[in-house]
Parts: sequence; C-alpha cells; structure tokens
Amino acid sequence: MDSLLTLSESTILTWITFIPLIGMAAILCVPRQNMSLIKGIAGLATFIPLVLATMVYFGDFQKGVNGYQLVQSLPWITAGQFQVNYTVGIDGLSLPLVWLTTLLMFIAIPASETVPRLSKAYYALLLMLGCGITGVFVSLDYFLFYVFWEVMLLPMYFLIGIWGGPKREYAAIKFFLYTLAGSVLMLIALVAMYLDQGTFSIPEMMAIGKAGAWTGPELLGMSFTTWAFWFLFIAFAIKIPCFPFHTWLPDAHVQAPTPISVILAGILLKLGGYGLIRGCFPIVPDAFRENAYILGVLGVISIVYGAYVALGQTDFKRMVAYSSVSHMGFVLLGMAALTEWGMNGAALQMFNHGTSSAACFLIVGVIYDRAHHRDLNAFGGVAQPMPRYWALATFGFFASLGLPGMAGFVSEAMTLVGAFQSADTRFQILVLISCLGIVLTAAYILWALQRVFLGPLNEKYKDFPDINGREVFSLAPLLFLCLVLGIFPFYLLDWMDTSVIELMSLLNPGS
Amino acid sequence: MQDIHLTGFGLLSPELVLGAVSLLVLIMDLVWKERGSSRLGWISIAGLALSSFLLILAFDDSVGDTAFGIVVVDKFGNFFKLFTCGALAVVVAFVMGDQRERKDRIGEYYFLLLGAAMGIFFMVGTNNLLLLVLGLELLSLASYALAGFHKGEKRSAEAAMKYIVFGGFSAGVMVYGISLLYGLTGTLDLQVMAGTAEGAGLTRSLADAVTTSPSTVALAMVMILGGFAFKISVAPFHFWAPDVYEGSPTPVTTFLAVASKAAGFGALLRFLAVLFMSPDVAAAVGAYGLQVGSLIAILAAVTMTLGNLAAVRQESVKRMLAYSSIAHAGYVLVALVAMNGDGLEAAMLYLVAYYLMNLGAFGVLIYFHGQTGKETYDSLNGLGRAAPLISVSAVVFLISLTGLPPTVGFFGKLAVARAALAAQEGAYAWLVLLMLLNSVISLYYYMRVAKHLFLKDCEGQTVRPQPAMATLLVIFAALNVIFLLYAEPLVNWTSASMDLLLIGP
Repeated sequence: MDSLLTLSESTILTWITFIPLIGMAAILCVPRQNMSLIKGIAGLATFIPLVLATMVYFGDFQKGVNGYQLVQSLPWITAGQFQVNYTVGIDGLSLPLVWLTTLLMFIAIPASETVPRLSKAYYALLLMLGCGITGVFVSLDYFLFYVFWEVMLLPMYFLIGIWGGPKREYAAIKFFLYTLAGSVLMLIALVAMYLDQGTFSIPEMMAIGKAGAWTGPELLGMSFTTWAFWFLFIAFAIKIPCFPFHTWLPDAHVQAPTPISVILAGILLKLGGYGLIRGCFPIVPDAFRENAYILGVLGVISIVYGAYVALGQTDFKRMVAYSSVSHMGFVLLGMAALTEWGMNGAALQMFNHGTSSAACFLIVGVIYDRAHHRDLNAFGGVAQPMPRYWALATFGFFASLGLPGMAGFVSEAMTLVGAFQSADTRFQILVLISCLGIVLTAAYILWALQRVFLGPLNEKYKDFPDINGREVFSLAPLLFLCLVLGIFPFYLLDWMDTSVIELMSLLNPGS
Repeated sequence: MQDIHLTGFGLLSPELVLGAVSLLVLIMDLVWKERGSSRLGWISIAGLALSSFLLILAFDDSVGDTAFGIVVVDKFGNFFKLFTCGALAVVVAFVMGDQRERKDRIGEYYFLLLGAAMGIFFMVGTNNLLLLVLGLELLSLASYALAGFHKGEKRSAEAAMKYIVFGGFSAGVMVYGISLLYGLTGTLDLQVMAGTAEGAGLTRSLADAVTTSPSTVALAMVMILGGFAFKISVAPFHFWAPDVYEGSPTPVTTFLAVASKAAGFGALLRFLAVLFMSPDVAAAVGAYGLQVGSLIAILAAVTMTLGNLAAVRQESVKRMLAYSSIAHAGYVLVALVAMNGDGLEAAMLYLVAYYLMNLGAFGVLIYFHGQTGKETYDSLNGLGRAAPLISVSAVVFLISLTGLPPTVGFFGKLAVARAALAAQEGAYAWLVLLMLLNSVISLYYYMRVAKHLFLKDCEGQTVRPQPAMATLLVIFAALNVIFLLYAEPLVNWTSASMDLLLIGP
C-alpha cells in the first residue's frame, strides 16, 4: 500500500492527475469568505502538477524509447461482465499535451481574477476540470479514458453556465449536449469492441487493430470496423471541432469567461485530436485508411470555412473561436495524410494551437475587462493608450497567423508538406485549397488588429490602463513558447518523433 | 397432513415479520395517537430491517419451496425482497422527513406500505401465476389507497381514482391472458409450463401449444406482458403514471417509482426466465422466447422515447421525474431483449442503480418541496446557494440518472448496453444506440434542474435545516459515486442472485 502513495516513476502520473482533485477537496473545506486562502490552494494545486510534469518532461521521460512510459496499472473492476484496469502511462504524443494542460491550468488561476461573481465553487470546479483533462491524456485504458472524458463535462457546464456571458445558459447546455451526443457514440463503439475482443486496454486494442483481428458482425452492409471508426471519429470530431460539428464552439467560447475560454481552446479541443490518434485511428486502422480522404476533405473545409466565417465576425472573441476551427482543421488534414511529416505536423500543431489560441483569448480578455464589450468595429486606436498591450497582442496574433519564425508556421508548414507527400494524390488538391485558408487567416487577423489598435483613437478609450503585471504573467509563458517552438521546434519533435513513427507503423502496416 | 402443511414454513419468516409489524403499527397508532408519529416510523424501519436481516442471514441456503410448492424461496427472489426492504425503509424515512405530511393517524400510511411490501414478497417469490396475481393485487390495492392518502386534496383523490381504473383494467387483461395459458397447458406453474418440471395431472408443456395454437399463445403473451407493462409503466400502458405520480404524496410516488416498479420487473424477469430461458427448456419454447424478445425491443424503444420526449416538456419537477421513470423502465427492457442470463443480470444491476439515483432524486424533491411549497422548476431558483450540500447531491443524482460517470447510473447503462449489444449478433445495436441517444435527450431536462438550482439567482431564498433528511441524501449521493469506483459488491451481489433461476431447483 505504501508504494502506491509515494511519489515514484510509477505513481507520478497519478499524482499529476489527482493533485487538482485533492486541491478541490481542500478548497471545499475552507470557509467561503476566505478567498485568498482558496486562491492560494488553487494556485498550489495547479503549480505542483506543473512542476511534476516539467520534471517528467526533462527527467523521467526517456526520449526515443518505444511504447509507453511511467506506466501504472491496477485492477479496478474485476467482477462480473467487465474487466477494467486503472492504467495510466504516457508516450511522446501525450506528454506534451499533459504538460500543456498543467501549464494552462496554472495560468488560468491568475487569469481568473477578473471573473465576476468569483467564488469558492469556481475554483473547485476548475480543479475538477483539470483532473478530468489530465486524466484523459494519461489513460491507457479506454474505460478510464471514457470516465475522465465525461467527468470534465460537468464542471465545464457549470463554469460556462454560472460565470459566463449573457447567453451562458444556452451555451452551456449546448456544449454539454453536443459533447454527450458524441460520447454516447464512443461508448457504443467501446462496448461493442469490448464484446468482440474482451479488452479495454488501449495498447491491446491497437495490437488487435494492427492484426486486423476485429471479428464483429457486419451491419447494414457496413463492416464492424467501419461502424466503430465512424462512431469514434464523430465523438472526437465534435470535440476538435471539425465542420460540420463545430457549431457549439463559438457559443461556448463567446459566453465562457476568459480563463475558461483559454482552457477550452488550449486543451479541450486537443482532446479531440488526441482522441483520434490514441483512441480511433490505430484501433481501427483499416477503416481509417479507407476513409482518410473524407477526413482530409473535412479538415480542409474546416480550414477554409472557419477562416472565412472568422473574417465576417464583429465580435472579437467569436473571431478567435472560429480561428480555432480553422487551425484545428490543419490537425485533421495532417493526420489524414498518413505520412510521417503530416502526423508530426498535426501533433505539433495541436500543441502550438494550444499556446497561441490560449494567448489570443487572454489578449481578448484584457481588452474586454477594460471596455466590457468585444465589438471589433467599436474599437480604434487602442494602441495609443496601451502600447505594451499592442505589442504583445500583435505578437500573439502573428503567432496564431503562422508567421514564419513563430511556432504556428512550423506546424502548419509540416502538415501541408506531409499532406502533399501523401500516397493519395488527391491530397495535393486539398493542400492547394487549404492555402486559401492561410490567406484568409492573414486577412482576418490583420484586419482585426487594424480595427482594434490602429486608426483614430476612440475618445472613450483614451484612459485605458496598459496591460498589468498579472496579465503579462499569464500571457508571457505562452508567447515565449510560441517563439521558442518556432525557432527550435525539435524541443517538441524530439520527444514526439519515436511515438509518431510507432503510430505510423500501426496505421500503415505495410510500410 | 399437519406436518406437510408446516414443512418449510420457516422460509416465510421474512413475510411473517412484515405482516406482524404492519399490524403492530396499526395497533400502536391507536394507542399512541399523534404522539407516535415518528415512533411508528422507527418501528416500521425496524421491521424492515429485521426482515432484511432474516433474508441476508439465509441468503445462500434458504432455498426451497413451501405451501405445496406455490411459494418459492430462492436467491433471485431474495434479491428483490431485499431491494424492496431497502426501498421501503427509505420511503418510510421520507414520510418521516416530509414536512408537509400530517402527524396524526400516520400508522395507516406505514401499514399500507408494509402491506404492499408483503404483496411484493409474494409476487417475486413464486413460480405460480395464481400467487403472482394475488401478490400483485395485494400490492396494487395498497398502492391505490396510498395514492389517495391525502384524501382532502383533489389531485390525490384523482390520482387514486385513475390508478384504480387503469389498474383494474390491466389486471383483468393479465388474468385473461393467464387463463388462456392455463387452458392451453392445464397448469399455472411456470416450470411445468416450460416443461422443466413434472406437473401433476393432465398438463402439457408450452412446447406443444406454440406449435398447435400459436395465435392463442401470442394473444396470451401480449395480454400478460400488458399486465406487467402496467405495473412497470411501459408504453402503451403508461398513461396512468404521470397523473398518479404527480397527484400522490411524494413519498408514495417514490414508492411507486422505485419499489413497485422493481417488483413488477422482478415478477416479469422471473416469468420470462423460467418460461423461456432455462437451459432445459424445449427448443420451440426457447425460439418463441426470442420472438417475445423482439416484442420487448419494440416496447422498450417506444417507452424510452415517449418518456423522454414528454419529460422535456414538463414544468413540474415531479411530473418530469414521473416521465423520466417511464423512460428508465424502457432502459431496463433494453437489457431484456437479450433473453438470456446476461440480460437479466444487467437488468437487475440497472435496477439497483435506479434505486440509488431515483430515491435520491425524489428525496431532493421532497426536501425542497417541503421548503418552498412548490414543485416547479422556478421554485428551485437560487437554492444552490441556499442549500449547497443538497443541491450538489441533487446534481449527483441527476448525472446518475443521465448515465454519466462517475456515477453508478453509468455503470447500469453500460451493463444494459453490453447485454443488448451481445444479443443476436448485434441485431439490437439500433436499440442500444436509441437508448444512448435518449440519454442525451434526458440530459437536457435533468440539467434543467441543475440550471435552476445553480444558474438562476433568486434573492432571499432560505432553507430551514433538516439534518436527518440531509444526511440521508448526502449518503445516497456518496453511494452513487462509490458504487462506480468500487462496483464489485454490486456486481457480485447481482450475479450471485442469478444462480438458481437458470439452473432450476
């Protein structure tokens, strides 16, 4: 029993996952008036996981090693019809996302200062959310994965629903319903696959997928694996979100308070992309290969359509929300290409979008806290009273735009090159079309920056205080990552590469 | 002769305890008058506890039959008897905690509840259709009176009236169906009917009947299933449920939605299992069972969809819970389409989950109803702030009802989905998909409660503390979570209760 509770290689992931939950329990015991103590606990319960995750990143985790590391496995449900294990572990694909989660959770605490009606419940729910998200990234058992996947919905519902904007109730339930509709499809696929082969272990399911050993019956003319593939794909596509499942996203983003938008864009959307490469493609690789082109088309539609709609937005935050749809389209395109470059680019793009979109939402939050509106057309000349803010905002949005030298450029270029190399030559047309999306992205970002910061100064805004230390504290690490990973992308790629190659061998058994 | 009469009479001790306590409560009520309101409740709970103790004590080795083989005591029956005791004890606690309940002459309330429990005991503890009907009628009669317990209230009187009319009709239909079966086979014993036991006299098994007169068997089956459908509020026999549930005192609604419904399922499960699922059953009968399974699939699909769609449109939380309990009956039926032991086990597991989440949900309703005097969604506004502990428990019950982890409701849905998907080479995958999509619909109206509790503000909402009720609800909420994280006792208990049913004595 003792060894289960000590901090060691086999328990560190469990600690990273559950420390926020311990923090939540602690917060619930504190009287509600004592807000500074509550904030302190919340800060600590997000900071310790960040430290531990950093230790894992640079210490315990071994680059270039195949398979999963830091694995902990305990039997969970052993009686009756289901054999479920509590199994956690990471590889090069999940590690960066685990680290990003701990970072953004930590950043969200100071960023929450300006949320109205802040209370003890807010921090408790935020920590519960953090536990759920981290749990998904470290799960190696599909049952556990599903439990964590659903656990984070409830705090998200309340965080949007209680602390959100004017249409918060609508946005919160819409988010909940969309995601649940996806997850029930995941559940049915999961149970069917369990009945077929009798395991929830993700690595075992991957091995079964590689061997093509799913034996489930054909239904309505479609094979078992094709059904499983589409059910799983839709579940994750809603989360990414890719066209046509994206309509919950603008509402949720616009209504959510700033720190929740940051988490939503920064990590929640990554769960979709991560789910695809962990829980969908390698488990039913045959069906994936057959339908990869359709996925590529959906990715390109998301890229172009997302950017086009973003161009038409007058709400600053809504624009950033649609830009997420566009940027996550690259992830899908890169994965669907079935090339090593494409997959590396997609994995990198997930991380980079996590930092750049989170930064963009923080930037929007800064101006919203001062102006209490986000109408792009009502601003103007804000650069004059807030020069430092202007500099940081331009920096952040250029990172999102994919300016060469910034992180977004590397990953988007890699996905496009990867897609171009695809064995399926139709992808070359998709790449050409998606370039249109890049142009549109430049257009909406530059136009938005112009409308907010340049032009004649709107008199109402001349007394705005410049960005303050707390806001910079949240923003700086993200912008730093955008820059560093633009110049030294191998700080991530080196960690991911082995896992990507392994993943490709699962997806392309021939090569 | 005397000896034969009394053989195994001790097996009936749980029933005898219930009977004795129900009479004791009635007598003590006359002695104590209004002084005894809470004492009577405790006596009832003690009686139920004693009865459960006897059941647990003899859970493994109390197998046998008595009263000329009409009463069967087996683990399956014990499972439902224990379930009933557990549910009834909570209902009695709810009556005690219901601030709106009168304090004098409360003994009748408990007497009727315990009488209903006895009806359930006989209903789930027999292979004989005659005793099944008698137990069912005992349960029904007590339920009619309970529904109209607030005789001064128009709603309550209306509920009782509707319930009697519908109940009488359905019972008639069921008995007619049973008489057809009797005519075909010459026996009322399910095992003899199934051909797994020797009958006395001129009997023949259903195997002949399904080949010689299939249409009569079909008619009988539809009628009998109709009778069960009434008890478990399955469409198209569900019309009584919303009105009766809404009009009855809320503890009675809880009783009807949990104990009475589970009893209906217990009898239905035994009926289907003994008749169709035993390994010794003739091939023709087994094949016929699969057809009954496809009929059940249609009933399940209609019931859960209707229940959920209607629940969305309700303005009263109590009425919403009534429709939701119709939907949940549909979910349990989904497990039964498999027509095998897996399906039965999943159904029983789901019923335990249903017990935990629905008792909690009704408890919250009683708690808040007692505070605000209303049952509408709007009356819940701002209570999340005024009564955080109860409101958080409410959210646990709601997500459990929706079937989301980390609650036992999820485990129940999972078991049901597994059983139905495994059946017939995935032929019922559509039904499982429909069930899960239904749970998405249900999220909308369940979360509406959470929305009013937490998202809507209401100045000046205050709550008088009710520590006993609150403790009970928090314990239930905790159990909802614990039984997913540590599901083994639950799973072990249900699978242990399965043994005898399929092997036969």
